[in-house]
Amino acid sequence: MPSWPTEPVYIGKSTQRVDGPEKVTGEARYSSDIHNEGWIYGMILRSQWPNAKIHSIDLSAARNVPGIKAAIKVRDDEFVAHYYGQELAAVAGTSKQACIDALLLIKVDATDIAFVVSEETAINPDSSRVFPDFPNIGEPKVRENGEVDKAFAQSAVTVEGLYATQIQMHHCLETHGNTAHQQGDNLTVWASTQGVFSVRDGLASNLELPQNKVRVISDYMGGGFGSKFGPGVEGVLVSRLTQKTGLPVKLMLPRYDEAKAVGNRPSSFQKIRMGADADGKIIAFELNSFGTSGFTSGPSTAGGGGRAGFPSPYLYNIPNTRVRQAGVAVNTGSSRAFRAPGHPQASFGMESIMDEMAARLNMDPLDFRLKNDTHDSLPAEIRRKEWKIAAESFGWKEKYNPPGSSKGTIKKGIGLAGGTWGGGGRGTQAECQINSDGSVELRCGTQDLGTGTRTLMAIIAAEIFGLKPGQITARLGDTLFPPSGGSGGSTTAASVSPAIYDICHNALKELGEVSGMEDPTGNQWFAACRKIGIQPLIVQGRWQEGLSSRGVGGVQMAEVEVDTETGFIKLNKVLCVQDCGLVVNKLATESQANGGVIMGVGYALYEERIMDSLSGVVLNPNFENYKLPGAQDMPEIEIILMEMPERGVIGIGEPVTIPTAAAIANAVANAIGARVPTLPITPDKVLAALGKVPNKPADSLAGNWGDFDQKLNWSQYSPTQEEGGGH
Amino acid sequence: MKPFQYATASSADGALELCGKNDQFLAGGTDILGEVKEFVSNPGRLVNIKNLPGTREIVETDTGWKLGANVTIAEIAAHEGLRRALPGLTQAAAKVGSPQIRNMGTLAGNLAQHSRCWYYRHRDVQCLKNGGARCYARESENKYHSIFSGNPCISPVVSNMAVILAALEASVNIRRGKQTFDIKMAEFYMVAWFNPYAHNSLKPADLILEVNIPVKTRSCVYLQVSEKSDFDWALVSCAAAGDLDGNALKNVRVALGAISPMVQEVEDANSFLEGKELDRRTASMAANIILEEAEPLEHNGYKVPMARALIRRALFKLAGINLERETS
Repeated sequence: MPSWPTEPVYIGKSTQRVDGPEKVTGEARYSSDIHNEGWIYGMILRSQWPNAKIHSIDLSAARNVPGIKAAIKVRDDEFVAHYYGQELAAVAGTSKQACIDALLLIKVDATDIAFVVSEETAINPDSSRVFPDFPNIGEPKVRENGEVDKAFAQSAVTVEGLYATQIQMHHCLETHGNTAHQQGDNLTVWASTQGVFSVRDGLASNLELPQNKVRVISDYMGGGFGSKFGPGVEGVLVSRLTQKTGLPVKLMLPRYDEAKAVGNRPSSFQKIRMGADADGKIIAFELNSFGTSGFTSGPSTAGGGGRAGFPSPYLYNIPNTRVRQAGVAVNTGSSRAFRAPGHPQASFGMESIMDEMAARLNMDPLDFRLKNDTHDSLPAEIRRKEWKIAAESFGWKEKYNPPGSSKGTIKKGIGLAGGTWGGGGRGTQAECQINSDGSVELRCGTQDLGTGTRTLMAIIAAEIFGLKPGQITARLGDTLFPPSGGSGGSTTAASVSPAIYDICHNALKELGEVSGMEDPTGNQWFAACRKIGIQPLIVQGRWQEGLSSRGVGGVQMAEVEVDTETGFIKLNKVLCVQDCGLVVNKLATESQANGGVIMGVGYALYEERIMDSLSGVVLNPNFENYKLPGAQDMPEIEIILMEMPERGVIGIGEPVTIPTAAAIANAVANAIGARVPTLPITPDKVLAALGKVPNKPADSLAGNWGDFDQKLNWSQYSPTQEEGGGH
Repeated sequence: MKPFQYATASSADGALELCGKNDQFLAGGTDILGEVKEFVSNPGRLVNIKNLPGTREIVETDTGWKLGANVTIAEIAAHEGLRRALPGLTQAAAKVGSPQIRNMGTLAGNLAQHSRCWYYRHRDVQCLKNGGARCYARESENKYHSIFSGNPCISPVVSNMAVILAALEASVNIRRGKQTFDIKMAEFYMVAWFNPYAHNSLKPADLILEVNIPVKTRSCVYLQVSEKSDFDWALVSCAAAGDLDGNALKNVRVALGAISPMVQEVEDANSFLEGKELDRRTASMAANIILEEAEPLEHNGYKVPMARALIRRALFKLAGINLERETS
């Protein structure tokens, strides 16, 4: 069985990124920096209608604009454009302005169709339909354990709540897009992607090309968060434009388009009931929920395009549970996987009602967690330690006061929440080339999302070869390299690290044979390599069992100050306690945790896509009104990594963003003694929750959907067996 | 954006000559370029007025302060003399946009900026203000909109500088054709109050030359609440200026932004405060007078309690008291 070094030099320590200098000096070449000779711009025309029959698209005037080299339609037949921003056509031209002028001249013959963009409206039977043959919301998926009704009847305390989470946008700082160049039979695409192989295969099948004629490169990319796995319509269009013109075409989406069509986190509307016995043990739980993942949500596609379901009941051990969940279709762009899909929604609803129950039981929320976080699973076992570590470091017991007991105009509060994630990962192959001058090149068809994968590869090779990370050249993001999977699900580190381990040990064996040295590492390295000769050593390897693991738990605590006259929330501190097995690069791991918390802060307090029910458009397709947290909004972030090297490598990208919003929401509720039941928690909602907004009573804050389960008669549906809870 | 001509003026006369009815002036560009890029505004020509002589100076005069039209927001925020004499002006400038916007944006541009309503700025929506048939915000998403309006459009004035300058009774010096005249800050947005198409009282090709503040020094304060701590628009902004004679208020003026198409000033409130002892009750009553006629819509009712809090705080701040940190 392979095993990681027990007294490592680099593994588990902090190593600066090997590609840091390139990134900060602008040397690093992203997809939008690829300017092959003769390159031209590509641009997409999108539907300005929220729902419309597209009869025909006339490109002739666009083609006549000086500088325009090609204009194409997405489809030739009549079709329905189901949402504001759906792709209709594309042009390629020698300047940005030529493309803009051309888009304005494309004539689209379309007929408006009634639309619905609000989930609350779409669930009503009399709502206009996204697909005429299907209701917007279908039968819920039902899971049931134990005897729920009986357990509620036996409960000493029962609480009920309505909670809702918004549509969050990925808004990667590098937008979606590619530079594509068809040369002869070969198509090369520089893609901003989380999966060079999935983009290659997607393009090959869409364009009916053999996979060996498509090469996808992603040297550097500026964030994906789940939204950049396939080629997307924009990838297919840019490829068709280069095929048509024979010129390299660069098509990066404008920020505006990012808000329309390239993914988002599904919304959730959660009606939760919880029952506990007098000792504070939860014995009954019921959740009825719906949400949207866009126009393909709902029964027309069996919830395709990213479902709006989420794990429930989340984390806590409850013997009697009933969960009913459905997706509802609306005329908006589809969801895509988004950093810990489903979990932040699950955490917000569950941890909110947990605190409501704790308050009713007059229990400290921490004690209430400890009493109920009792699943027989590794993440739960780890979390039971983490609650205590967090409480100790945060000073929970000293700081905790019952909800609403903080004095003065500006009230302080604290809150907590937990999370779990799978992670893991397998299947990566890689190769290593060792040259006679001792230089080392690693090649792996993974990609670096900005998480530091290149550095991770270099650290592991340096550790095993007895070199420094800076002496290793790690190459990735190219389908010419041995294959690896998409970078999603927090699987990259756990999938790549064992493969690098394997090739390096294979290489040492070969180098030992070539050099005749028993140990060619460290000081012996260059002497050993001189024996290699003209033909470099090329060694393959692959992921091995025993060096990585899956299944993590994490907890977070937050401290806020809420101005009860203005509703303004100042987030003072977030503590993140997270396990992640063997840490390869401490600096990058903490950086991931910082990023996860920051994204959770945005989810909690600022970010929300606003759809306008009157016009059907996205109202805030920009950073002016889609509010991302900035430097001034940042709390002190403290990270405690629960290192468990014996477990091997586990990813951390996703779990660290899960509990943040729920912990902040609970801190706000603890401060002001009233709950804002929907995200983001903005000043207007805080004032309403405090009963200070005359035309917005506190009990109207969740919205008008509370009786949906009765209206839709959900009690008629019986359980379908399926995995669902997250422990 | 659509193609446009570009010309640079080196004098006010030249600027007026270059700027026709369908043309617009360009200084910092932080407002107009956004409009042009989103096809919200399609000028035939942009006339660069950055280099007009004498428009980049902050001057202390015998009677007050003269701020040139092209003084940047960052220059105001960093001006030591202003910080000492009129601290509210510094506070208002420091809250404008981001460092980049403050570096580029000019005082005149901040005053003359167009509506930030998300319907008005939307390339695929034609709202009333932009020549369409209806005010979408009134019926739909009006969280950031006015709680007062004299016309169907409810886009609020969002200039930070206008709010503090109104409290300081500043006036704007404008060149219109061959005429040069002053307009009181209080009147600078008057036309937008009753005319849905107007952003302010300027006519096409009106050129702001300078802003005059009629006091050399005055106790004054600017406060705003935004959703974010930085780089965000005010949900409500409030300025107060005046003197304290012992604990008695003198010549106090209160002005609010982001709640009306014009800077919200109520003379009755100012006269109510005259000579009064500053206490919570007085401050609350002044707030009541200012907000009495508010007509909140579905999503902006929160602006009423928020504005009330800011009015009270601003008045106490004149006396150096942070009301929100006081225990009552």
